[in-house]
Amino acid sequence: MTAKVAVARRREPVDRVAWLALPAVAYLVVAYGWPLLLLLARGVTGPTGLTLAPFASFFADPFHWQVVANTIKIAALVTLVCLLIGYPTAFALAWSAGWAQLVLLAAIILPLSVGVVVKAFAWQIVLRRDGVVALAMVKLGISSEPVRLLFTEAGLVLGASNVFLPFMILPIYSVVKLIDPRLNEAGATLGATPFYRFKRIVLPLTLPGILTGVVFVFSLSIAMYVIPSLLIGDRFQTLATLIGRSFLFMRNEQLGSTTALVLLALAVFVVAGSSILARRLERSQ
Amino acid sequence: MPDFLRIAGAGKSFAATRVLGDVTLGVGRGEFVSLLGPSGCGKTTLLRIVAGLLRPDAGSVYLDGEDITTRPPHRRDIGVVFQNYALFPHLTVAENVAFGLEARRATRAHTQATVARFLDLVHMRDLADRSVKVLSGGQQQRVAVARALAVRPKLLLLDEPFSALDRKLRETMQIELKRLLRELSTTAVFVTHDQDEALMMSDRIAVMNRGAIEQFDDPATIYHRPATAFVLSFVGMSTRLSGSVVDAGDGQVLVATAHGPVRARGAFPCGAKAFVGVRPERMQLGPGLGRENEIEVPLRDIVFQGSKVQLHFTAAAGDQVVVETVQLPLGFEPGAHIKVGFASNDAMAFAAEALP
Repeated sequence: MTAKVAVARRREPVDRVAWLALPAVAYLVVAYGWPLLLLLARGVTGPTGLTLAPFASFFADPFHWQVVANTIKIAALVTLVCLLIGYPTAFALAWSAGWAQLVLLAAIILPLSVGVVVKAFAWQIVLRRDGVVALAMVKLGISSEPVRLLFTEAGLVLGASNVFLPFMILPIYSVVKLIDPRLNEAGATLGATPFYRFKRIVLPLTLPGILTGVVFVFSLSIAMYVIPSLLIGDRFQTLATLIGRSFLFMRNEQLGSTTALVLLALAVFVVAGSSILARRLERSQ
Repeated sequence: MPDFLRIAGAGKSFAATRVLGDVTLGVGRGEFVSLLGPSGCGKTTLLRIVAGLLRPDAGSVYLDGEDITTRPPHRRDIGVVFQNYALFPHLTVAENVAFGLEARRATRAHTQATVARFLDLVHMRDLADRSVKVLSGGQQQRVAVARALAVRPKLLLLDEPFSALDRKLRETMQIELKRLLRELSTTAVFVTHDQDEALMMSDRIAVMNRGAIEQFDDPATIYHRPATAFVLSFVGMSTRLSGSVVDAGDGQVLVATAHGPVRARGAFPCGAKAFVGVRPERMQLGPGLGRENEIEVPLRDIVFQGSKVQLHFTAAAGDQVVVETVQLPLGFEPGAHIKVGFASNDAMAFAAEALP
């Protein structure tokens, strides 16, 4: 009853406020929706009219299945690495104060202003056989001789995680900041161990942030083009690099459009799937 | 009877600021004790030390005969009702109350029965499946109390739980909480800056000031026999007349004030600067016979408070004269000079420099 009243009272101003989104909507329709529609049209039309033949031939080729698998595997690994590093970092950022927080925040946000091409080239140097990573691994006794990580999947995951890490940290940070530290204390005084408190209080309350971060990083890394081009090369194809090759080198616009639609479907599936998962998790809490 | 909760020589500093200095306090089993003081007096710090949310720099805490000074909060068996209630926003009312039981691995049947019982006790059974985010302040407070009590802690700590409620609701909740704690015979320590709340609810009150306990006594003693000038001025209103001691002996002093000589309880040498404090309801209006003390002062304000009337008088610099009466005598107008009397037994002398 009270909820109904609140909704009724809120409806009118919301309608008017919605007009503020007009520029963004107009921009998206013109600059994104329309080209997307053209792409879609090209993907499903052949010389004889409407057809799904391009998709059939795309999925008939085992190489394309390999490309899809590569794309998902790398994106999943990058997302996982970002989550493992980003989650604790978000807490450090949210719970630090004064100068420490300022320095941490700058360290996370400033790198965003460096172009991805520059960063990818920098990682080429770092991941070389005589790069710092290889030398450090020898020093630490992880490997007996310098290992070249450049042009390997591990190197790609390492470089991409570095580039996308802020997109994991910032959404988690924004929810951690809103958590009342007394909730954890309340849990403790009710007899909950630190692990139980994390499981029942901190994790559920940060889940929306985790999910946003995962969707950000996964969508970014599923579609990344420059980083794999520079860090792993042509031998290892992902959907994004395949699109690039189709249009730029093979001049096969049909294959490029089809691949783009597969990538789009994959991204939509992941974003929609994770929102449903999140809602279900929240309900089961 | 040994103290159920015993705080021995507890001290705490933050950076260079000493928040709590050498506090010793004992609370009996089943007792309701208030820590009363202005903000920054260290009362919340003391509460957090007892709860285990803060480690004292010095001293020890004993509960039920055990030294719990270094024990983590989740193994202390001490419940806390926080000032902002700290309800888990992602859980329902029932899930909040069940949290402590589930954390202690109670059986499902026991948890359900206990949650139902405690929601009944705080009249929240109907709202069991609501999200706590949609509750009013009073309802949130009930859930917080039920959540803290459902695990049957040895001790319940309450950190200003009524400060966010409006006056009417606050009084209802105070009575309810007192009844609930008595029914469950729970030992409780209650932090507040509200003197009325402390006087109304407590078995004993520890009045705190600048990180130390000024007086620890039952409410009537705190009010009628304040041990220090701080207690006199912090708890309740008072008439205050300052001057110097001209005669002393037999536990009484005669203080020469700007309003004439006043006899009061106290032990000060002749010549000492002192002030005399009297509670407003212990002062009588109008001329009377055989009074030990009588002064005449011009009436300044009449404040009607429903069940009582407060009269403020114009007094000498640094002094104040306040009288409380049930019914205002006829013909009292601001500006009129009125005789006011009080017994020397109701007047207490304090060292003048101690006046806060």
